[in-house]
Amino acid sequence: MSVMLTKFESKSNRVKGLAFHPTQPLLAAALHNGSVQLWNYRMGVLVDRFEEHEGPVRGVDFHLSRALLVTGGDDYKIKVWDIRPQNRRCLFTLIGHLDYVRTVQFHHEMPWIISTSDDQTIRIWNSTSRNCIAVLTGHSHYVMSAFFHPKDDLVVSASMDQTVRVWDISGLRKGSPNTGPGNFETFDTFSTVKYVLEGHDRGVNYAVFHPTLPLILSAADDRTIKIWRMSETKAWEVDSCRGHFNNVSSALFHLKYELIVSCGEDKTVRVWDLAKRTAIQTFRREHDRFWVLASHPNLNLFAAGHDSGLIVFKLERERPAFAVNGDTLYYVRDKYVRSYDFNTGSDIGLLSVRKFGSPYVPPRTLSFNPSEKAVITTISSDNGIFELTSLPQQSQAEVKDSSVDGKRGSGQSAIFVARNRFAVLNKASQIIEVRDLSNTVVKTVKPPVQTNEIFYGGTSSIILSSTASVVLFDLQQQKTIAEINSPPVKYVSWSADSSMVALMSKHTITIANRTFTQSSLIHETIRIKSGAWDDSGVFIYSTLNHVKYCLYQGDHGVICTLDNPVYLTRVKGKTVHCLDRSARPRTITFDPTEYRFKLALLKNNYEEMLYIIKTSTLIGQSIIGYLQQKGFPEIALHFVQDTNTRFELAIECGNLEVAMETARTIDRPECWERLAQQALKQGNHKIVEKAYQQTKNFDKLSFLYLATGSTDKLSKMQKIADARGDPMSRFHNALYAGDVAGRIAVLRDVGMHPLAYLTAKTNGLEELAEEILEAAGLTAEDVDDVPAFGPSTLKPPPIVSQTTDLVWPVVSTGENFFDRALASGSLEGIESSFTNGDAATGSSSALDAWAQEEAEADINPEEDGWELDADAEEEPSADINGDVEVPEDDDLGAGANPGVDETELWVRNSPLAADHVAAGSFETAMQLLNRQLGIVNFVQLKSLFLSIYRSSHTYLSPVASLPPLQLHIRRNPTETSPGRVLPVAVLSLKLVHTELSEGYRFVSGNKLAEAQTAFRSVLRSLLLIALTSDNEAKLWRETVTAAREYLLAVSIELERRRIAEEDPGNLRRNLELAAYFTQCQLQPPHLQIALRSAIGVFSKANNQAAAARFAKRLLELKPDPKIVAQARQRIAAGDRNPRNAVDISYDEFTPFEICAATYTPIYKGSPSVRCPYTDAAYVPQFKGKLDPLTQLTEIGAAASGLPAPW
Amino acid sequence: MDSSELYHVKQQFILGAYKTLIGMSLPDAESSDFIPILLYQARAHIALNDPKSALKLLPADSENVAIKAVTALAHYVDTEETEDKESALEELRDLSVEIEGDDIEGTDRDKSIVRVLAGIAFARAGEVEEALETLGIGTEDLEAVAVIVQIYLAIHRSDLAKKEFERSKRWAEDDLLLQLIESTISLVTGKDSYSDPLSFYTEQLGNPSLSSPHILTSRGVTRILRGEMSEAKSDLEESLDQQKGDADALAAYVVASGLQVQEPWTKLLATIPLHPLVKDVAFKETLFDEAAAKFAVPVMAEIGA
Repeated sequence: MSVMLTKFESKSNRVKGLAFHPTQPLLAAALHNGSVQLWNYRMGVLVDRFEEHEGPVRGVDFHLSRALLVTGGDDYKIKVWDIRPQNRRCLFTLIGHLDYVRTVQFHHEMPWIISTSDDQTIRIWNSTSRNCIAVLTGHSHYVMSAFFHPKDDLVVSASMDQTVRVWDISGLRKGSPNTGPGNFETFDTFSTVKYVLEGHDRGVNYAVFHPTLPLILSAADDRTIKIWRMSETKAWEVDSCRGHFNNVSSALFHLKYELIVSCGEDKTVRVWDLAKRTAIQTFRREHDRFWVLASHPNLNLFAAGHDSGLIVFKLERERPAFAVNGDTLYYVRDKYVRSYDFNTGSDIGLLSVRKFGSPYVPPRTLSFNPSEKAVITTISSDNGIFELTSLPQQSQAEVKDSSVDGKRGSGQSAIFVARNRFAVLNKASQIIEVRDLSNTVVKTVKPPVQTNEIFYGGTSSIILSSTASVVLFDLQQQKTIAEINSPPVKYVSWSADSSMVALMSKHTITIANRTFTQSSLIHETIRIKSGAWDDSGVFIYSTLNHVKYCLYQGDHGVICTLDNPVYLTRVKGKTVHCLDRSARPRTITFDPTEYRFKLALLKNNYEEMLYIIKTSTLIGQSIIGYLQQKGFPEIALHFVQDTNTRFELAIECGNLEVAMETARTIDRPECWERLAQQALKQGNHKIVEKAYQQTKNFDKLSFLYLATGSTDKLSKMQKIADARGDPMSRFHNALYAGDVAGRIAVLRDVGMHPLAYLTAKTNGLEELAEEILEAAGLTAEDVDDVPAFGPSTLKPPPIVSQTTDLVWPVVSTGENFFDRALASGSLEGIESSFTNGDAATGSSSALDAWAQEEAEADINPEEDGWELDADAEEEPSADINGDVEVPEDDDLGAGANPGVDETELWVRNSPLAADHVAAGSFETAMQLLNRQLGIVNFVQLKSLFLSIYRSSHTYLSPVASLPPLQLHIRRNPTETSPGRVLPVAVLSLKLVHTELSEGYRFVSGNKLAEAQTAFRSVLRSLLLIALTSDNEAKLWRETVTAAREYLLAVSIELERRRIAEEDPGNLRRNLELAAYFTQCQLQPPHLQIALRSAIGVFSKANNQAAAARFAKRLLELKPDPKIVAQARQRIAAGDRNPRNAVDISYDEFTPFEICAATYTPIYKGSPSVRCPYTDAAYVPQFKGKLDPLTQLTEIGAAASGLPAPW
Repeated sequence: MDSSELYHVKQQFILGAYKTLIGMSLPDAESSDFIPILLYQARAHIALNDPKSALKLLPADSENVAIKAVTALAHYVDTEETEDKESALEELRDLSVEIEGDDIEGTDRDKSIVRVLAGIAFARAGEVEEALETLGIGTEDLEAVAVIVQIYLAIHRSDLAKKEFERSKRWAEDDLLLQLIESTISLVTGKDSYSDPLSFYTEQLGNPSLSSPHILTSRGVTRILRGEMSEAKSDLEESLDQQKGDADALAAYVVASGLQVQEPWTKLLATIPLHPLVKDVAFKETLFDEAAAKFAVPVMAEIGA
C-alpha cells in the first residue's frame, strides 16, 4: 500500500462521529461543539448543518434506505433527523439514557436504533413507535460502542470495563413485547450476553463485526487492536496488532481486501494486513489526534475525524489501467490483464500481473502493441516500475503469469511509440529512454520541459505533460513540435482517425488537432475522469457525475448523469462502453441526437440536420435555445411542441402559417395582436384580417378594408356597427364607404343636428337638410347666419387595384431548405447528395452507419406494433379507465367527476355470467345465461346471485366516521391493469365437486329427496363458475353431465316410489321406471344400488328373466361376495324360469335416452328436443316448456354455449 | 412537534384504536394538550358510532371552533331526522366559513379539524363536491388529505387520489397517516398484490405500544383481497374477539366465511342492519327481481305423463 489518496478534507471543530451516506456522496460529521455537519465530499461543499444538540455529538449514522440521520450526544439525547433539504428537521428525540451517548446506529432492516451510553447500558429503540424496546445491561463501565451484526441478530459492544461483549438479540425480533414503555424487567428476556471477550488491558474504544466472516475487531486504550473469532458456541482472541503508540480510537475491516484500517490518538491512521497482522502503511498527521474512522458501505472510501476536521480518503486508485485497440479493450482487473470484445462482449483473462509490484497496488497504466501483441504496464509501487510482457496468442486454460518472460525496469511512465520501440520516463532524473522489445536502451532523450508523464503522440512522437503545458515532442528529431498551455494533463485520448486529440486535466479538456496547431479549451467545475471519441468526431467524456459531449469548437453539453464515476473506453453509435469502479465493463446507451445535430449545424450539413429532424424526436428547451441563440429560429420551430414557444418562434422567423395555427390554439388577444403586427409587416393582410376579427378590433379592421379596397366588407362592417350601436364606428365606416346618407343618419341619431344638417347641405341633399332642420325645431331663418359651404368633394379614393384577394408580400416569408424538404416529404433525392456535403469522409461514413442504425430502430417499433396487436383488446379498455378519460379536470379537485367503478370494469372484461353476477350486473348476467345456456327461470338462482355478489366485495373504513370504502375482491391479486381485472371466483369447480359428493352420499344413504335437491343445487352452482381454461371447461361439462344423470336417476326412482305408493296396481310402470333407473350413467357403487333395486322389484313381479339380466349386469360390476351370491341365485332363478310375468316397454338392446319429463325411453333415431344447458333429452312435444329436471331452462331453446375468453 | 402524549393519542386515533383511546384519561384541563386529546376522544366515540358519549364528553358552551365542529358532527351522526341532519350540516357550513375569518377562537390545528370534520359530514351526506371544496385540494393538512383521498377512492378516482398522495409525500414523508393513505389507495388499486397495505398493517400490528382491532380487521380485509381466506378469517376472528360488533370486521367476516356458511350474514343483518353491504345486497335483491321478471317462464313440462 503506497497511496492514501485524499479525496476531501475539511477544517472544523473536533470530529467525534462520522457516517457515509449509502448512496449519495454525503458524509455526516458529528462535532465536539454540538453541531452535525453534512458534507458533499464529491463537490466539497457543506450541504447542511444540524444544530440542536447541546454539547458534543459523538454518534451519527445514516438510514440505509430512507433519508434519515440519527445522532447522539452528551445531552443524553438521541435525535432522528429528516435530511432532505426541503424539509430537514429533527423528526423526534429519544430520551432515556442517563449519561453521554457514545454511538448510534440504525438496524439494516428493522426499524431499530441501537445506542450506547456512559450510563453503562446499550439501548435499542423502535423508531416507528419511538419507544425503547430493549436495554442491554452488563457492562460495568462506560459503553463506548455497540453495533448490529450486518446479518445475524447479534450486537457487539466495547466498554471501558476492558471487555468486548457479543449479545444475542434474536428474541427481540420474534416477540414484540406487549409492555408499555417503562417496564424494564421484561427486556432482559430478549437479549442475552452471548460472549464476553476479555483480553484488553485497558478500556476498549471500539468493536465491530466483519461484514462476512465471523470475526470481531476491537480497538483499545492498551494501544492494541485485537482480532477475535467466534463460532456458534464460543469466541476467542486470535491475535493483536501492535504499533500504535497511544490509545487506538477506532479500527475497521476493509470491505474488499484483507486489510484493517485503524486510527488513534498517536495522530496516525494505520493500515494492517488482516492475514499476517502486520503493519502495511502509516499515515501521520502533525498535530491532530484521530478520533473516529468510517468506511463507505459500498465503495472504497474511508473517512477519519481528527482534532481539527476530517479527511476522506481512498486506499488505492480505482481507475483501471486500460488501452483500446480496434474493437478490443485491454484492461487490468484484480491484477489480471484481460481483453474485452466490444462487439461480442467476450471477456477473458490473458495475463496475471500479480507478482508485479506491491500486491495491494493495481497497475497504473497499460499500453498495448497490436503488432507484437505485447503490453507494457506500469505500477506506482517501488518508486515506479514498468513491465513489458507478450500476451499469449490464444487464451489458454492456465493464465500466464507476467513474471515468466516479463522484462522490467524502473520508470514512472512507459508507452509504446512504435511497433518495436517504447519510451520510458524516469521522473526523478528527467530522462526518457527509448527501448527496443528486448528492453535495451537504444536512445536517451532529455525532455525540453519538466515532465511528469508521457503519452503517445503519434508515431515516434510523444506528448509530454508538464506542470503548466503540454508538449508534442518528436523523439526521432528530438525536438518540440508544438506546445499548448494547460494545467497538468493526466489522460490523453486520440480520435479513431488520429486527427484529433483530447488532453484531459483535472478540470479542463484541451481539444487539439494532431499537430497541436488548433485547440480549444473546456472548463469543468467537476473533476474530469475519462473520455473517448465518437466516430463522428465528437469527444465524449465523463466527470464524476456526468457523461458529456464536446464539439471540436468547444460547445459542450450533458448527455446523462451518473451515480458513480465510470471510465469511458469507447463510444460507438448510441453506446458508450466503459469500465466501472471495480473495473467491470459496462455499457451506457444514450441519445446522440443532440450533439450530432449540433455538429451538423456547425458543419452546415443541412442534409444531416434534416435527417435528424425527420427521424428523431429532438425536443427540449436547450436545443431550442441553442438554435435561437445561433440564429436558426426556423429550424428550432421543427422541434417545438409547446404551442406558446412555437408561436414565439413562428413570429420570430415569420412563419405566419404556423403562427396562425398556434395562435388559434392559444387564442389570447396578445397573440392575435402580435400576429397581426407581424402579418402586417409581411403584407399578408388576410392573416391580419383574421387576427383583427379574432380580437374584435373593428376600427382597425375597417381601416384594413379601406386600405385594401374591399367595399363589400366595409358595408358589412357598417352593418356590424349598426348592430353594435356604436355611433363612432358607424360614422367612420360610413365615411370609409362614402355613404353620405349613412353618415347623416348617424349624426341625427346621436342628436348632432348641426353637423347632420351641414353634411346634408354640403352634399346637396336639400330635402333631407330641411327635414333635419324641422326635426331640430328650427326654420331656415334660424340658420341663415351659418356660412354657406360649397358642395363637398369628400369621398373615398377610387380603387385602382383591389388587393382584397391578393396578398402582397413585403417581407419574404423565407421558405428555407427545411420547409421545402419537409414539405416535399421526400428525403431520397437529398440523401443521394450526402457524400458531397461538407461532412468529412470519416464522419459521413459514420453517419451512414448511424443512419442504418436509425433505420433498424425504425423497424423495431413496427415489430412491437405487431406484438401490440395481440393485446389490442386491452388498449381501448385502458382508455376507458378513469386515469386517462378525464385528464383535463385533473386538478379541478372539487369538481372531480366520478370515475369508472371497478364493477363496471369487471362487466366489460368478462363474457361470463359469473363475473357479471359478482359485479352486481344481474340483468346482463341473466341475458348472458339466457343466451348461452337458455336459462329462463331465474327465481331459482336468486340466493346464489346474491351470495356471490355479497362475497365479491368487502368494506373498510380507513378514516374515522367516513362511510366505509367498498373494496372489490379480484380473481388475481397481481393483476391491476384496468383492462384485465376480474372478480374473484366465488364458486369453483372444487367447491361444486364437494357439493356433488354430498349428493352422492345422499344417494348411497337412500335420502333421495335430499339428493335431488343437492343435484339441482349443483346444477345451479355450475351455471356461475368462472371458467379459465379448456381443461376446466371440459371438466365443467363432465360435471354437468354427471349431475344431470344423477338428478334424472334420482327423479325416476322417486317417481317409481310415488307410483308404488299411490298407484300400487300400476306394476308395469313401476317396473319400467326401475329398469330406466339402471340405464342412467351412474358410478358403479350407485349403479349397483339401482340394479339391486331393479332385481328386487322385477323378481317380486315375477319377471325372472329380466331380473336375471339385471343380476348379470350386477356381476359385471364385481360387487361384494355376498351380493355376488345373491346375484347368482337370481340368475339361476331366471334360468329356471326364463319368462316375464309383466310385459314392459324396455328394450335394453337398443340404445335409448330417457325423456326427463315423461321418463319414457327415446330410442336412438326417434326425434327429441334437448335442454340447452344439461343436454337432457325430451320428447318433442315439450319444446318451449320449462324443463322439469333443473327447473331452469326452456326446453329446446337456442343457446350459444359458454364462451371461452381465456 | 407534538408532545409525545398527543403523538401517541393521534397514533391511536389514526390506527383506529378507538376503544383504547377512549379509555385513556384526559390530561389536565390547563394543558395545551387538553383540547386536542379531548377532540380525539370525542371523535373516537363518533367513530364507534356512539355520538351520545361524544356529546357527553364535549363541553356544550365552548367557543372553540373545533369543539363546536365535533359537536355538530356528533349531532349529525346521532340523529336520524333529515331536518336535524340538515341543521348539523348547516352548523358545519357556518363553521367552515367562520374559520376563514381572523377573530375566532382556536388554533390552526382547530381550524384544520373543522375542515376535516365538515368534509366528513358532507361526504356522509353525499355532498362530494362540497366536501372536497371544504377540505381544499392541495391542502397541507394530512388528515384532510386522508379524507380527500378516501372520497376520491369512493368515487372511483384513484388517479386523483394518487395524485393527492404524491403531492403530500413531498411534505409529510415520515408520517404514519401518510403510510395509511398509501395503503388505502393500494387497497383500491391493488398495486403489487396489495403488498403495501399488508406490510403496513403487519408492521403496525407489531407495534408494541398499540393494540387496535381495527388494524387486525384491515389486515384481514387485505388478506381477503389477496385471496388468502383462511388467514383473513383468523385475523377477523381475532379482531371480533377484541371488539365485538365491529361493522367492518363483521362484514368482512361474511366474505371470508364463504358461501356455505350463513351464520355471519344473519349476524350482520341482525347487528348492523344499516351496513352498506346489507343495504347494497337489499338493493340488489330488488334489482334481481326486476331483471328476472323480464324473462317469461314457460309452463313446466308435466312429469310422468
